[in-house]
Amino acid sequence: MSAMLLNKEKWPDFVGKLTGKQLWAPQIKDEQLRFAPVAEGEEPALDYKNTRVPPKNVVFPQTETLFRFQVDGEEVDEPKLDEEVVLLGVRPCDARSMVIVDKLFSWDYDDPYYARRRELVTMVGLACSEPGLNCFCPSVGGGPASTEGLDLLMVDLGENYLLEAITEKGEALINETKELLEETRDANLEQKEKVINEAAQKIKRSIDPEGIPVGLPGLWEDSLWQRVSASCLGCGTCTFLCPTCHCFDIQDETEGFESRRCRTWDSCMFEEYTLHTSGHNPRPSRLERTRNRINHKYNYYVDKFDVIACVGCGRCINLCPVNIDIVEILKQVKEAL
Amino acid sequence: MSANNEPNIVAFLCNWCSYAGADLAGTSRVHYPSNVQVIRVMCTGRVNPLYVMNALQQGADGVLVSGCHPGDCHYMEGNYYARRRLGMLKDLMEFVGVDPRRFHMSWVSASEGHKWKEVVEKTVEDAREAGSFEGFRRRQIDW
Amino acid sequence: MDLEKLRETAAEVVAREDVKYLIGWKNGSYGYRVAPAFIEDAEGAAELIFSPLCISNLSTYLTLVEKLPLPRGQEPDTRKIALMVKGCDSRAVTQLLVEKGIERDGVVVIGCPCPGMIDYDLLAEKYPETEGLSEVKWTDDGFLVIRDGEETNVTRDELLAEKCRLCRYPNPLISDIMLGEPVETWEPAEDKGVEEVDKKDVNGRWAYWEEQFSNCIRCYSCRNVCPLCYCQDCILDRLNPTWVNRAVNFSENTAFNIARAFHLAGRCIECGECERVCPANIPLGRLNRKMAREVRDKYGFEPGLDPEAEPFQASYKPDDPEDFIL
Ligand code: SF4
Ligand code: SF4
Ligand code: SF4
Ligand code: SF4
Ligand code: SF4
Repeated sequence: MSAMLLNKEKWPDFVGKLTGKQLWAPQIKDEQLRFAPVAEGEEPALDYKNTRVPPKNVVFPQTETLFRFQVDGEEVDEPKLDEEVVLLGVRPCDARSMVIVDKLFSWDYDDPYYARRRELVTMVGLACSEPGLNCFCPSVGGGPASTEGLDLLMVDLGENYLLEAITEKGEALINETKELLEETRDANLEQKEKVINEAAQKIKRSIDPEGIPVGLPGLWEDSLWQRVSASCLGCGTCTFLCPTCHCFDIQDETEGFESRRCRTWDSCMFEEYTLHTSGHNPRPSRLERTRNRINHKYNYYVDKFDVIACVGCGRCINLCPVNIDIVEILKQVKEAL
Repeated sequence: MSANNEPNIVAFLCNWCSYAGADLAGTSRVHYPSNVQVIRVMCTGRVNPLYVMNALQQGADGVLVSGCHPGDCHYMEGNYYARRRLGMLKDLMEFVGVDPRRFHMSWVSASEGHKWKEVVEKTVEDAREAGSFEGFRRRQIDW
Repeated sequence: MDLEKLRETAAEVVAREDVKYLIGWKNGSYGYRVAPAFIEDAEGAAELIFSPLCISNLSTYLTLVEKLPLPRGQEPDTRKIALMVKGCDSRAVTQLLVEKGIERDGVVVIGCPCPGMIDYDLLAEKYPETEGLSEVKWTDDGFLVIRDGEETNVTRDELLAEKCRLCRYPNPLISDIMLGEPVETWEPAEDKGVEEVDKKDVNGRWAYWEEQFSNCIRCYSCRNVCPLCYCQDCILDRLNPTWVNRAVNFSENTAFNIARAFHLAGRCIECGECERVCPANIPLGRLNRKMAREVRDKYGFEPGLDPEAEPFQASYKPDDPEDFIL
């Protein structure tokens, strides 16, 4: 796999070269709320910490039509998924999250929608030189320059970006834009190491998950859940904004004689999530819901897929309205073990 | 809007006054625009603001709610509640940018067949001026 | 406010036999964060704080607590909940009383006269949050920000939260215990936010809200945090009939936001929580304040002032305005 240099002045040309595919990048307006298609004439900016909404919506849209049908008809019409997407400036944690979520969507059943979208996406990552205040990716197996899930990694070297192909798709991208790129020298690679090491040093928060996955079942009745969930509002912020949360709800929507079946994101923090038709709710309060969120990420997922379903992006900490802090919860879990 | 540029109107009429008024207009052969889909409710006090939203989302270009004159409500005061709530709704919709010509409320009694005609004409005319409301349709977006 | 006094009072309150716990504010896990605290004993009371960062409205917890069915033979716990309130929060308590969402006997209201809170986003933008806990205090003409031991004086105007600029009731209007002397009220600022939208034409307003509502991710934080959004069976969760589709798109988001704002017309007490928590930064306060203004100007009603008042949307006056009626 090759590594090349891209002078930052050539960034617009580089973006211009990626024609024929849809480019998604952090939205410039609205404080980098989410990844969105880059509009004509817009130049994706890469000076951001991370988007509020993770890029999971590219492969797992918040609302996705599964098929359409006529109420009185017999045919179903499935959406065609064939547009190639290039995600520009994905953070390493978010790229890793897709690898983790892949396991779920290809587990006992291959989800065709997800799989197809995954095939169509090329992920151009951007290593973090200035990690956010609540980033703790190294604690859960990632890092500010982790390449897992990426096709191409960009590292900001000041005047240049270092472009490293990770997969064939990434290699192809480099070939497509070759005329804009320069060869790397040893000094560049040294500089890269330095940037990455410095970034890792800047990460303040950490938790050693050792012992948590096996220990959680024993803490089922522990009083810690009451403590950490008392102030929870039961909103969907932490889960909707979590790059590894993948729960969805399926609904039929009908307008006149036209219907569609669609799925939308769902959250285990919602009361309605586990509500049975009978009215019984096996997770009747915020305590059980909070316990489930932590268990799902740090216990059930590890049990099934051998990986923690948390990439340490810190979004749930940044944006929980009442300062429910997953690192603090995990610390309390460790203390209770 | 239908193909010939006629606006679609949904009208929520109370059973006791306005529905009877519209009926009277029909039986006394008063001509009024036919692009009104009437939905009978027992009382205007029963009209949930979401009825109005849903109608607009599902294809209406204008919505009309009509009931008994103040003081004449079959349930004594349902129309007073409706007046307060739907007045608020109208203000809110205006603030959100829904053209105020898309939503009207009126009092039409069982004997006011002619008033019914006027109200419908005004509602249709206003909705026509406001134009089609495609931007708010459920199916228009990401269906 | 004297923190010693606050903690002492709190310790006394939680020691009472008829009090289950006290809800107040404590330092959060880092930076400028402040977290709700559920205090049951004197040790917990020692963690309580009241600072310009205590912007959240804790009265939402009065109705958020699940009423789970009791095991057979178990008596319900009828002890009171003690609650710390600022001026705006106290109006939520009053409004809950009006709506019979809570009972007067069920709460011990601890009033905290409020000199004005800081806008977290403004603060963090100007003085980036650090890993360690920071402290912010009121000074005579503003705030003192203490970050990593470094002290900065900031003027009030620079960091005051929008809702506080507009506030007309900084002193709690209902309380059982009042901590400290009432603060001097200030001239509420012009509501520039609402005016900015108001002065657009109808299409401009639609375009404005289209952009805003398109960003909504329907996390329902705004609903859940609101002390007055406490329906057991919210229309947004209803499936039969489905009032608002689960699909997240501009049409449904708009219907939802209109429904929410409508349900709070004449009830919203302008605590600003919905806007504060919205992860999509939607200026929800503008919707609510616009409605509050209409209700005040047209109907002469303000929620959360009088516990004996009739609920606005469940009452009427024979001479309510009807100039909009054909
Ligand atoms: S974001 Fe915070 S308050 Fe909301 S559900 Fe998650 S933990 Fe609870
Ligand atoms: S169960 Fe909860 S924590 Fe797990 S993926 Fe679903 S929403 Fe996320
Ligand atoms: S968690 Fe790690 S990879 Fe993600 S934004 Fe922070 S530093 Fe970057
Ligand atoms: S908090 Fe904001 S994003 Fe969440 S549902 Fe409310 S308006 Fe939408
Ligand atoms: S609508 Fe918003 S401002 Fe009004 S009471 Fe609810 S949370 Fe507070």
